Amino acid sequence: MMRPSTILPLAYLATAAAFFAAAMASMPWLANELAGHYYHPRVLALTHVVTLGWITMSILGASYQLIPIVLERPLWSERLARVQLGVLLVGVVGMAAHFWLGTWPGLLAAGGLVALGVGMHLVNVTVSLRGLQRWTLTARLVVLGQAGLGLTAMFGLTLALNHALPVFSWARFPALHAHVHLALGWWIAPMLLGVSARVYPMFLVAPEPARTLGRVQFWGLAGGVPLLVVGLIAAPSLVVPGALALCAAAGSHVVGICSMVRGRKRPSLDWGLRFALTASGFLVLGVAAGLGLALDLVSGPRVALAYAVLLLGGWTSLSIVGMALKIAPFLVWYRVYGPLVGTRAVPGLAALGSPRAEAAAWALLTAGFLSLAGAAAAGNALWILVSAVSVALGVLAFAASLARVLAHLRAPAPPAESVRISIAKATGAKAHTPKVHTQ
Amino acid sequence: MSAVPPRPPTAMGLDAARRVDLDVREEVRSGQEPFSRIMAAVSALLPGQALVIRAPFEPVPLYRALGQRGFAHWTEQRAADDWSVWFYLRQLTIDVRELEPPEPMLRVFDALETLAPGQHLEVRHNRRPVFLYPQLEERGFTHETDEPEEGIVRIVIRRREETPG
Repeated sequence: MMRPSTILPLAYLATAAAFFAAAMASMPWLANELAGHYYHPRVLALTHVVTLGWITMSILGASYQLIPIVLERPLWSERLARVQLGVLLVGVVGMAAHFWLGTWPGLLAAGGLVALGVGMHLVNVTVSLRGLQRWTLTARLVVLGQAGLGLTAMFGLTLALNHALPVFSWARFPALHAHVHLALGWWIAPMLLGVSARVYPMFLVAPEPARTLGRVQFWGLAGGVPLLVVGLIAAPSLVVPGALALCAAAGSHVVGICSMVRGRKRPSLDWGLRFALTASGFLVLGVAAGLGLALDLVSGPRVALAYAVLLLGGWTSLSIVGMALKIAPFLVWYRVYGPLVGTRAVPGLAALGSPRAEAAAWALLTAGFLSLAGAAAAGNALWILVSAVSVALGVLAFAASLARVLAHLRAPAPPAESVRISIAKATGAKAHTPKVHTQ
Repeated sequence: MSAVPPRPPTAMGLDAARRVDLDVREEVRSGQEPFSRIMAAVSALLPGQALVIRAPFEPVPLYRALGQRGFAHWTEQRAADDWSVWFYLRQLTIDVRELEPPEPMLRVFDALETLAPGQHLEVRHNRRPVFLYPQLEERGFTHETDEPEEGIVRIVIRRREETPG
């Protein structure tokens, strides 16, 4: 069996972390814009750096580590995924730049590159999935996520095209909201829920939650998003049923996590797990805000921005930071120290990162995103500035811990021959003694 | 006598806790039958322990009797009337279902280090360890995986040269 690639997912995760750092570092300078309406070129640029550069790149990186585990087979083409990284990198930077400048032809070209990168990913995953026999919850959610990614990219490109060359007569904001919810409900959510279903029992050493919860998650997302999207664009009566279905999916996910936490056999939680569990709290808050918007209990661009901060910042970003703090050390450990296991003492995963930096990142990001949601809802620029500084410092601490993990890649691995000799020595395979016989 | 087999690592410095010594030389020389004592010692073996029998001749009948109970053996002739025979289970079993990655991989390689000739390792896991397989293959082991019941993945690992077929 081929050794699963470790550098490929790490390259995606490192790129994503760089986008996250760039986006969050720019946020204090966007405090005034964030205090106003979200439909602002610079806020849109920031949003796309977060959703494409940070979130999508991270999910793609995590996918390339998880596909061999979930599908029990290697990715079809790692070369295609490497080329795709370059295409997406140029595309996302181009999109952010053109959103920032407000130049639509350039935005369309950059969006086309992103769509090309998405297409390459979909081809790779589709071929990798061919002939899969065990359709676990994670596998089904991954497929839903791939469909959602493709549709979101096409929808986004259509919105940009329609802006430059109006074809559809739909209202701008409902269409924009539909695009956001398609991304959130059919790309980000299934991937996060799918990955959680696989890795939380593994890392918490806990029994898997009841299957009914998994079914509610899958069908809640699969059915809720189309209702919500169509409802937002064309049939407002479908918005509430769609929102309720999504609430059911999110609720069953949170209930499943609570049951795993209660039933875990691992008493202490590392910072990666604390991030992931804290993210679930943000999901509850975000879903409550979303339900309030769907039921018209609250309304307006400020609440909508706070809702986006809770879900994209609190839930998604903290989930990804938590998973990155689990996935990256494992990949680095596997690459650098895996071949040495059995030949000499190797460090544990915890020794690769920096728990102090991770603790600082957790405190700053949790407080920062929570405060930012409140500040966005209030439309207070100074409060936004203070919150954004907290988030930016949190990202810095996260990046420092990740950099410390990645620095182990520079540790020289011994040549393969020396490993084989050590193993032979350890197992006595080459030793023999005269006057000995066996059956 | 065919090819000289390697001395099992268990014979190269097994600590006292994992080794049960039974010297039956005087018993045999005085005409007594040590079989029941041997079987009692076998029954009292703890997981991972080896039984080392010292006898005045090669105890060939024991090979079959203990072989039927899953034991492999390794024999050393020290003198014309002094034989040491190591009996150890053919299969080592470890359960890594409640361990967080990469601890299962560490446990597997720890166990493989103590694997004696003819012995194989059965690993009980809760998933197919796709990151472990290439490492095993690179180090000269073969592996077979099945799922005897829901939630349990069983991986049987052998040295490549000892793999049937």
